[in-house]
Amino acid sequence: MKLRQVISIFISKFAIKVLRLIKKGGTTLPGKLAFKIYPGILRSIAGNFEIIMVTGTNGKTTTTRIIEEILKNNNIDYITNKSGANLLSGITTIFIQAVTLTGKPRHRVALIESDEAAFNQVTKHLQPKAVVVTNFFRDQLDRYGELYSTLNAVKSGLERVGDNTSLILNADDSMCASLGRETNKPVFYYGIAPEAGAGDTGNSGDINTDAMFCINCKNKYEYTNHIYGHLGGFYCTGCGYKRPAASLECTGIQETGSSHTTINWKSAPPLSETLQEYTTRINLPGLYNVYNAMAAATCGLALNYSANTVISAMQSFECGFGRMESITVGDKTIKLILVKNPTGFNQVLSFLALDEQQLNAAFLINDKLADGTDISWLWDVDFEQLNKNPDKIGNLFASGLRGEDMAVRLKYSGLDTRKIRIIKDYQLLLERGLEQTPPGGCFHILPTYTAMLDIRGILKKKYNLKEFWK
Amino acid sequence: MYDLNICHLYPDLLNTYGDRGNILALQRRAQWHGINTQVTNITIGDSFDSSEYDIIFLGGGQDYEQEIIQADVLNQKGSEIKSAIDNMKVFLCICGGYQLMGKYYKTWDGKDIEFLGALDLWTVGGKERMIGNIVFESDFISEDGKPLKIVGFENHSGRTYLGEGIRPLGKVLSGSGNNGTDGYEGAVYNNVYCSYSHGSLLPKNPQLTDHLLTLALKQKYTDFDTLGQLDDTFETAARSSVIERILKNI
Repeated sequence: MKLRQVISIFISKFAIKVLRLIKKGGTTLPGKLAFKIYPGILRSIAGNFEIIMVTGTNGKTTTTRIIEEILKNNNIDYITNKSGANLLSGITTIFIQAVTLTGKPRHRVALIESDEAAFNQVTKHLQPKAVVVTNFFRDQLDRYGELYSTLNAVKSGLERVGDNTSLILNADDSMCASLGRETNKPVFYYGIAPEAGAGDTGNSGDINTDAMFCINCKNKYEYTNHIYGHLGGFYCTGCGYKRPAASLECTGIQETGSSHTTINWKSAPPLSETLQEYTTRINLPGLYNVYNAMAAATCGLALNYSANTVISAMQSFECGFGRMESITVGDKTIKLILVKNPTGFNQVLSFLALDEQQLNAAFLINDKLADGTDISWLWDVDFEQLNKNPDKIGNLFASGLRGEDMAVRLKYSGLDTRKIRIIKDYQLLLERGLEQTPPGGCFHILPTYTAMLDIRGILKKKYNLKEFWK
Repeated sequence: MYDLNICHLYPDLLNTYGDRGNILALQRRAQWHGINTQVTNITIGDSFDSSEYDIIFLGGGQDYEQEIIQADVLNQKGSEIKSAIDNMKVFLCICGGYQLMGKYYKTWDGKDIEFLGALDLWTVGGKERMIGNIVFESDFISEDGKPLKIVGFENHSGRTYLGEGIRPLGKVLSGSGNNGTDGYEGAVYNNVYCSYSHGSLLPKNPQLTDHLLTLALKQKYTDFDTLGQLDDTFETAARSSVIERILKNI
């Protein structure tokens, strides 16, 4: 057994070196090889790490990056999987890199982002100390199947892990919060409090949202306040299931900018000894990043890191890899914002609507496996909100393998078709996009996952963008 | 000026696969043709008088939500839906909405779920889902004298079979269609059009959208003749790009 482990680690490490050398990234193949040689490899080498896992539909990467910053602030020796290598093989690769040939850990903590569909599989091998679940939204139905299957898979995954694993759950998401019911594990809820006055003014969401009906008794939820999607102060008049009290929550939005949000928040026992209130400038814009910051802060405090180190992480973390990544080109800026599913896309569109300047944007829609092969979800995105302020719309470009479908979607939102253009060639798209962006302005590029890899490749060559696995 | 009243049935429950794009397509194209539309959302517990509407739409949903509507559709709205079909109202039913119009759904482990029985068709659950782009050609609409090629995206485990008197919407050129075996996709009865295709279906198949609008207008206005021509550059590009990509592989 031991010999197979050594061979497995050796070959996998060798593969990592070779793939890096030929600039192939090598984030998943080495893990696959290691598993082929020794199926018990991950369980065996991961056992000596203190593991923090982050899963859920949206916000995994950003939440993971903020927790990473907390670890840095505490001088913790850690490893983490960057760049969306968040399936079993990618996670295995990261552990292989972090151990010696004999399987001894070279770091103390492993901070692992896990794809929500892979989570159940991954927890067969890992015993985390804390699991953060961000939220559940419809996402790539061709791959993940229906939303309730994803929730149930995460639920089974959580049932595998020990009773001393802390669960950090979103109180505002009726699906996510349900994971904290009927469990013996310590549960810490986070959210955005009703008094924060954030989100929609109405008390119910759009009819086109997920999880509108009670997970226990199928009655329609009522809401005391509504943030976005199905998030908010939900309660069921049928069975009494309601948003649980949060031990950490945002209590007010002080300022929203194009690069940050300043919020009031508080933590309560058992997360802190007494009620503590803070005002913090979060280093990313958008309400969805408030959730990510609250999730990461809860995780930090639950693991007994000091409030100071948590706050400075929220203030200073950087995300990259298509999460509001900026590149300066002369007197103009290119901003890369990854889009994956309707809720995420809607949040990005609301963020863009805050900008005073004319909107110049390119939508790069691919339908490869990692993007989801079904692009029907574009019709669940509320592009109609662009039409509320048509004078602010500059040039819109549709591109990617399904650029034509994207153009149709924009057209049916009611926008002037003269403002919509299909350009499939990315070089040309960048040229035209920048050319038509006014001086001092921003050209927003919103790609799906594989489209982002492609456009990043070009941006890397042209403007020295950082390689993503570094 | 012509008016069309569109009813979106169970928009908060059958809302999963982007099918609301069909409502947008009906609204926008009607608007571009100079026709007024009004969309009414009708869901569980709402009263439903089919005589108020010209086009009725049902989309696809998740199993969880479909279970929730079953009692309402059978007991509250069933007879209205059936009389609307007899009165030649125009229906578009996608995926779950399509299955619901049939007699029953037999799950793969043998459980029978009673459906509306408005159309003589039935669905048997399979263990494997049929997922992917689909191209089929329909005799109901012609393009340059040939049957129209329609594109969409299917994602279903139910296999649907048509009884006598129900015609398929089209013949599958690529993809699985109704059941993956007989080579047909969708169903048509009176003015009821059913399909497994998401995508959304109507926006990139504008001829089908105009076909449904025309049926509804002819039903409502005796003096109505035909719709004019619109600029469909984007729609045609979207449809052709899928057709080229899919059909060059077969």
